[in-house]
Amino acid sequence: MGLKTWLKLAVVAGVAANIAGTAFAGGTLRYATIGEPPSLDQQVITSDLATTIAHHIFEGLYTFNAAYEPVPLLAESETLSDGGKVITITLRKNVRFHNGQPMTAADVVASLQRWGAYGSRGGLLFDNVERVEATGEYEVTITLSRPFGPWKNLLAFINGGPAIYPASIVEGASKEPLAPDGYIGTGPYKFSAWEPNRYLELVRYEDYVSPEGDPDGYAGRRTVNFDRLRFIPVPDVGTRVAGLRAGDFDYAESIPGDLYAELDADPGVRTILNGGPIFGLVFTNSKAGPLKDNFALRRAIQTALDKTAALRVAIGPESLWRANGSFYPKGNVWYTEAGIENFSKADPELARRMAEEAGYDGEPIKFMVSTNYPFHYDTAIVYTRQLAEAGFNIDLQVYDWATLIEKRAQPDQWDMFFTHHGFVPDPILISVMNDNYPGWWATPEKQKLKARFTATAEPAERRAIWAEIQALIYEQVPTMKTGDIYTYNIASPALEGLAASTLIWPHFWNVSK
Amino acid sequence: MLGYALDRLLTLVPTLLAASLLVFLFVRLIPGDPAAILLGDAATPEQVAALTRELGLDQPLWKQYFLWLGNILEGDFGTSIFFGKPVLAVIADSAETSILLAVTTMGWIVLIGVPIGILAAVRQGSWIDQATSGLAMLMASVPTFWLGLYFILVFAVGLGWFPSSGFPSITGEGGLLNLRYLVLPSLTLAAPNAALIIRLVRASMLDVSREDHVRTARAKGLHPLRVAIKHIFRNALIAVAGAFGFTFAALVSEAVVTETVFSLPGVGRLVVQSILRRDYPVIQGVILIVVVFYMFVNLLVDLAYARLDPRVSLK
Repeated sequence: MGLKTWLKLAVVAGVAANIAGTAFAGGTLRYATIGEPPSLDQQVITSDLATTIAHHIFEGLYTFNAAYEPVPLLAESETLSDGGKVITITLRKNVRFHNGQPMTAADVVASLQRWGAYGSRGGLLFDNVERVEATGEYEVTITLSRPFGPWKNLLAFINGGPAIYPASIVEGASKEPLAPDGYIGTGPYKFSAWEPNRYLELVRYEDYVSPEGDPDGYAGRRTVNFDRLRFIPVPDVGTRVAGLRAGDFDYAESIPGDLYAELDADPGVRTILNGGPIFGLVFTNSKAGPLKDNFALRRAIQTALDKTAALRVAIGPESLWRANGSFYPKGNVWYTEAGIENFSKADPELARRMAEEAGYDGEPIKFMVSTNYPFHYDTAIVYTRQLAEAGFNIDLQVYDWATLIEKRAQPDQWDMFFTHHGFVPDPILISVMNDNYPGWWATPEKQKLKARFTATAEPAERRAIWAEIQALIYEQVPTMKTGDIYTYNIASPALEGLAASTLIWPHFWNVSK
Repeated sequence: MLGYALDRLLTLVPTLLAASLLVFLFVRLIPGDPAAILLGDAATPEQVAALTRELGLDQPLWKQYFLWLGNILEGDFGTSIFFGKPVLAVIADSAETSILLAVTTMGWIVLIGVPIGILAAVRQGSWIDQATSGLAMLMASVPTFWLGLYFILVFAVGLGWFPSSGFPSITGEGGLLNLRYLVLPSLTLAAPNAALIIRLVRASMLDVSREDHVRTARAKGLHPLRVAIKHIFRNALIAVAGAFGFTFAALVSEAVVTETVFSLPGVGRLVVQSILRRDYPVIQGVILIVVVFYMFVNLLVDLAYARLDPRVSLK
């Protein structure tokens, strides 16, 4: 057999192999992820990647519509009594878990109790809860010690939130994330397999009973089209992009800004902006060091920063960022301009004078940043230079993320650190509102406003108090927002039913190819 | 030979004990808390402390070490903090990819490196020698991440001949056809290593060709090809055999860049990801197994020397 014959055979074999490899993927959505989630246990894990996968498996009592309003999901309706202190929730009656058992009030009570005791965000609500009890087979009553405005938003936010599990799974569960055999929810997809470093797969839940109504954000009808959702860890971004272009993936996440223009112009690729922007935050230390209670010095630091210049360097295309000082984007109900005149003054001379008046004598300010997130590091480099121009002695300490989160728990190790925050539908969920979050901002002024903010459920009143809190953040500077960043994902144009942008995490019910 | 091999295996025991202590201490010296990483940004310090207790990471280090060592002696390498699966199962998943990748890469290295090296030596000083020298230099200097992405663009995106990334197990759907996923990564990984073998084969052959027995063979009027293969290459192989052994061992444990570019679920990527997640049991398990693997390959290389060179005595 000649060389040409061998070559021809090799090509034919290659083509045949390729066909064999792709033929089975007709009902499978292949999603290239940046890595692997730590676990899919939604009550204790707050990783966005975990929620992207897990909100196809688990559901909460409520979810968010396109306007980020909480609407019933596993709940059917609710009534409030005793001045908002008693919440009685009626459950949908035809819902079954993936193990075949019907979902009843006992499951909801057990799930809420485990979330309240061990859930990452459970304490926010349960600090105000006197008891949770089943008051009927399909009725749950939550009794609060005092009215707590954000209760419904907290029940609707599935990330680190009150996903509903069977009582048999969560009774006795603790802080340790549940193992995969406990991934039993009520959602449109069931957990199927997790092959470390290979893929994590969900399969269609044949007995899924969808909520009713037109699709609206995460609310409304959920039509399941794919047989399988396969989440494949592809850490290299070049490979994620090439794989989507080669047809090996249908969807790929976390694509850097410098590829946006090229990909947006490519008819073979669809770019999808993430609707809720993420934002960088530089926290200041309220427990120790030169910034401990010197709000004037913190304001001087803030005055030196030109956030627009840093966003341009760190993020790139202007369509992917906004130099927005409000903690919520324009158009959102929580958007307020209170305090934002101090967001990015970019005035090193004024900053120098303010620092002198605040008693700053040039002592080093320890600024921790991680290289795991390139935009953290790039922004911190720009800030360090800007602060040096205003006379600040910045000791930039660069760590990997795991080291940074250990060090930030030790007040004597740092003065400022860089992190970022995902979009959350209620300000109570922003980390700076948590008194225990590293930075430990818990001044009497904050406590007073926070108490008022959580005590009322009246939307207009809550918005007005949030504006006061944002103004206080700009005055006491427990954290400095660095601007809004619109991350984006890419998808195959063959996918139908995808919205132009995601609400928070992508979802694949009502999507087909 | 059997007695020698058994002796060598026995000397592994103290070496492994020392290695286990070093691995354990180095891993625990890295700052970072697995519980905090697992629970994420919203967890309170109390919740992190509670999980640390549940994972047993609040125990004194010496206690954790002896517990780990005792369990290993019973064949239990612990449970991955991140995956919640037994460490050995996690490593076995990755080992399949790494070993198959190393074997296919070694195939390319031998196929490319040996004939070209022999050719360059036989035609020393000719344009062929110059060209192979240039080719070897190019293969050694192109970064693997660049070569990998280039292969993906040409052969996966452009021509569609091979998948761009990933590696489904050959025991699952697709069977042995899944080996096509390893064609591009193994070629990428083979390039710099084949360059090394080209240079090594050439240099060793030139060394041997100056020896007396070769001169005698030539003087007897033997065919030059017979002299090159039987009298020169066979003896040159002694020097090359060691390089093959260590290249193979390194391919299993150090292919992290190629594994990342092609998203291969291999041992290199597993260990790097585990370090970032501070998944102590997996890091410790992988490193210990890689140490054993290196020792085993070392032993095989020594045994191969004896087979190739009768002057080497296994005592």
